Amino acid sequence: MEKSLVTLDNGTTCSSWNYNGERLATGSVDGTLAIFDSIDPASSSFTCTSRSRVHEDSVVKVVWVPPEYGDAVGCICADGTLSLWEEVVEDAQPLQWKLCKSFGSNSNKVLDVQFGVSPTSLKMVIAYSDGHVKVYELLDPLELKSWQLQAEFQNASDSVSTFGKALCLSASVSWNPQRGESQQSSFVLGFHSDTPQLNSAKVWEFDQDHQRWLPVAELALHGDKGDQVFTVAWAPNIGRPYEVIAVATHKGIAIWHLGLNPDIDGRLSVERVALLSGHDGEVWQMEWDMSGMTLATTGGDGMVRLWQSNLNGVWHEQAALEPTS
Amino acid sequence: MPGLTADSGNALVPLSPEAHVSVVYPLHHGLKPPISRLSISWSRGNALRVSVFRELPAESGDSDGEAGGKVVQVKLGVADGEVDDAQWRRIAYGSVSPFALLQSRRNSVLALSKMSMSSSPYHPDWWEYVMEYSKDISSLLDNAKSLPNSVIDDPKTVLKKVEEPTCLKAAWGLLEIFYADKESQAWLPEQIVDWLADYDILFSGTQATVHSKLVEFQKAIVRLQTIEDDPRYWEVITSALAVGWLEIVVKLLRLHGSYQLDQLSNRETENGLVEAVAILISKMPRMRPELEAGRLGECFKTKPDFIKAWEKWRAQITKLDCSSFWVQCDHRQTRDGLRNMLQVMLGNTNNLCTSTCHWIELYISHFLYVRPFTVGLESMHALAQKCIQLKPISSSHRLMGLIIGILGENTEVVLAECSRAFGPWMVAHAIELLTAGSDQAEIILQEERDNLGGISIEELHRLVYAQVLSSHALTWQIAPIYLTSCMKQGMGLLEVLLYKQPVQDNQMLLKTTEICRLYDLESISSSIMKIAGVYHWKHGRKGSGVFWLQQARDEFRLNRIAQQLFDFVGRSISDESFKQWEGLIELLGSESKIAGGLDFLHKYRDFKKSLQQVQVGKTTDAAQQAVESLISLMRNPSTPQRFWLPLLHDSLKLLSWQERPLLNVNQTNLLLNKLQELSMARLRPDFIEANLPPQALSSVRLALATNLGRAILEE
Repeated sequence: MEKSLVTLDNGTTCSSWNYNGERLATGSVDGTLAIFDSIDPASSSFTCTSRSRVHEDSVVKVVWVPPEYGDAVGCICADGTLSLWEEVVEDAQPLQWKLCKSFGSNSNKVLDVQFGVSPTSLKMVIAYSDGHVKVYELLDPLELKSWQLQAEFQNASDSVSTFGKALCLSASVSWNPQRGESQQSSFVLGFHSDTPQLNSAKVWEFDQDHQRWLPVAELALHGDKGDQVFTVAWAPNIGRPYEVIAVATHKGIAIWHLGLNPDIDGRLSVERVALLSGHDGEVWQMEWDMSGMTLATTGGDGMVRLWQSNLNGVWHEQAALEPTS
Repeated sequence: MPGLTADSGNALVPLSPEAHVSVVYPLHHGLKPPISRLSISWSRGNALRVSVFRELPAESGDSDGEAGGKVVQVKLGVADGEVDDAQWRRIAYGSVSPFALLQSRRNSVLALSKMSMSSSPYHPDWWEYVMEYSKDISSLLDNAKSLPNSVIDDPKTVLKKVEEPTCLKAAWGLLEIFYADKESQAWLPEQIVDWLADYDILFSGTQATVHSKLVEFQKAIVRLQTIEDDPRYWEVITSALAVGWLEIVVKLLRLHGSYQLDQLSNRETENGLVEAVAILISKMPRMRPELEAGRLGECFKTKPDFIKAWEKWRAQITKLDCSSFWVQCDHRQTRDGLRNMLQVMLGNTNNLCTSTCHWIELYISHFLYVRPFTVGLESMHALAQKCIQLKPISSSHRLMGLIIGILGENTEVVLAECSRAFGPWMVAHAIELLTAGSDQAEIILQEERDNLGGISIEELHRLVYAQVLSSHALTWQIAPIYLTSCMKQGMGLLEVLLYKQPVQDNQMLLKTTEICRLYDLESISSSIMKIAGVYHWKHGRKGSGVFWLQQARDEFRLNRIAQQLFDFVGRSISDESFKQWEGLIELLGSESKIAGGLDFLHKYRDFKKSLQQVQVGKTTDAAQQAVESLISLMRNPSTPQRFWLPLLHDSLKLLSWQERPLLNVNQTNLLLNKLQELSMARLRPDFIEANLPPQALSSVRLALATNLGRAILEE
């Protein structure tokens, strides 16, 4: 049933496939970024085509930049720095991975970064360990070094009050994958922190008229608002009249329906349609398939679980994969 | 699963306690434990990639020769190993055109019915189209490996070796019989008899069948001296009779020892009885329009005729059963065996039950000998229940599940069985037969459901199948056929699918954009070409990059590229670099509308060319032409201000031409004015200083002044 595609280097800590599954980027404890490509398109085995030392510290997360902006990745390292690396040919030099930009910070660590494509620009959301979120915009579509800070805020429903000295262990950002022309940029964000108000997953939408980011929905039931969020995942929408977002907390994986039309206050209606448990503890990662019908998750129990909704709209575990040697 | 029942009280839609238990599949990665973490990613379609990371050995840096991790790919929801990958692709490709033909017929029929405002949405002969479709699909499901047929007809070969059928074809056959073949509805039982004759072999894998008994006996047959003494002979004959394989029965009967020439004299009666049974069998009335050549029985198309013949036939059997000849038959096994057969033909339930192996065989024997008129699914279902009671299912077979679902008239169960046992291809294609089956099924399958995000079950299954197709490089191109038959979400998924196609290879890229063009997906096509353009641009193939960005009409990036060229031109104007970007200007210039500033680059190129000629030939004509270019550049409002000084500095030689002043008074004044403007602009903070020697401005001014003086003198 399974097929082995890649053998990873010793000390590999994280991996990420690009948008079409043709390239794999991995990071390792010694700060190396490795790129794997399929040399022969007919075969399905991948070999390492590039290894670059991106940092002296361990790489903990690799995120691909949308392909409209080139072959580039963001690397988050254990010391909380973020660097953007790009594969380019410059001035008659051979193809190589080059550093475009670093986002270092002495006190605040970068916990997560995700890129969102809007019709005119590339946006980057960075979640920091002090509970702050920064949204950057790329100024030149061909240069990944010129970023402009567009907004900075905290993940709170009430945008007026600010919370000092938050301590966050992890954060998870997921952009609305829709690429339509008319679509407003939006993303969902949740924290795992010591400040309850910042934790719950909130949907942020860019208000074009006032050029600001607004929280338009909160994905937590009344009693669960302070729950620390492990990870979030916004499902692709190929035509549903609502959005689907998965939010994982220690209570389980919640599947939320998010309305498309805002009410008078600009808020979107939300409904939790399922709470699934299975990983018995931390959920590491959640990924929707290309139709947004199947959710794959991994977690502390070392299993891969697949979730689907049946014909009656009831979500259930469809299958599980147990890694064995 | 521990997770399934927990917390269900909290959910808005609580999971029912009997919710199905998910299957746990092992995922072999071949790494030495311990495993520290997993990472997942969906590839195209239903392929899931799992990265497995091994924990580092305690003494870090000390590699133990093991890999640090593996990435394995799993394809989900793919059917069993009955049909191999290549065969699946053959089926997938083969079913495209029947499916597409049926869709286009449906569309035209629907359009027609809308025009005529007729009440029925479908043509009365709609099922004929469905039947044609079903036959086309069925022909794809034949097994490729066909067994060689023996030319010599061996009298002792009772079972002809035919190509091994697949469960897939058997399942399709069942659906065709029950849902599509409206013409043969009156002869449904006989159709199922034929179906079992073709596919009983498939059940042999999991349980004893009449077919497996026959195969066993076939092996033994050559070693038997007097066949009729062997109890297996009579057992096999009766079993074959019970399921209606009359040709085999008669062939076996004729192997009876009493037929041998040297036996005739003393076994006449016995032989007469054997032959009498053989004749009765070959004259069995069948309620069906026709039988293939070589098959036994007498066909009756209408029920009254059939009943008359059926009663007459049974009367003959009863008569034979009571005949006094039996007493004269000395061979006990023959006597008992033949009378047993008569009981089967008379429909004795006990005999039928002992001579059949599993419930479907028993079911078939009931159709043949007990209730040949059974019609209507309800009574067929009741009969099936009875047979299952008599012969409980020991090992469930996927075809049995399907039959029970069909007889239970539950469309959803049938679909679930198809999906579970035969996978997404089957469901996506079988729905066409199910919807043709009844209006009710059509409503169930085509009704848009909120629970499914506003799509119908039919659409859902097409989407699922298209996703399976998408996961393979050789089949993704046929996914659009299925996606475009989906009213609501097909195009959405098609866009996602196309977006994920690789762009590095031009051939592939052209194919993808062609599909976009075919389905009017302009924005996705432009995204793809944008990706290709940026890819080539960044990878040093600037020309391809510009070409694809132009195809994508990406003004935003093209303007940036033009800007980069300006910067480049402003920075260095050596002859080598000039050659480098000359081609790009050519490319960009072909659609000058896109980047207005490129007009300048065009003119600049012309200017550079004539300046080069001046350098080579030093002719006054060429110099005059270069001056024209310079003036036109300086007059052009699209020429960026920061180029003024470099342009003039480049032209120093022209401004101080030896033979005669090349610029007239007006022209010189124009340039002087520009120079003045430039001096003013330098005071502004956003002024970009050209990369020129510090005395450039003054030397230009001096040259212009000299030229002006000479020009005034000339005029």
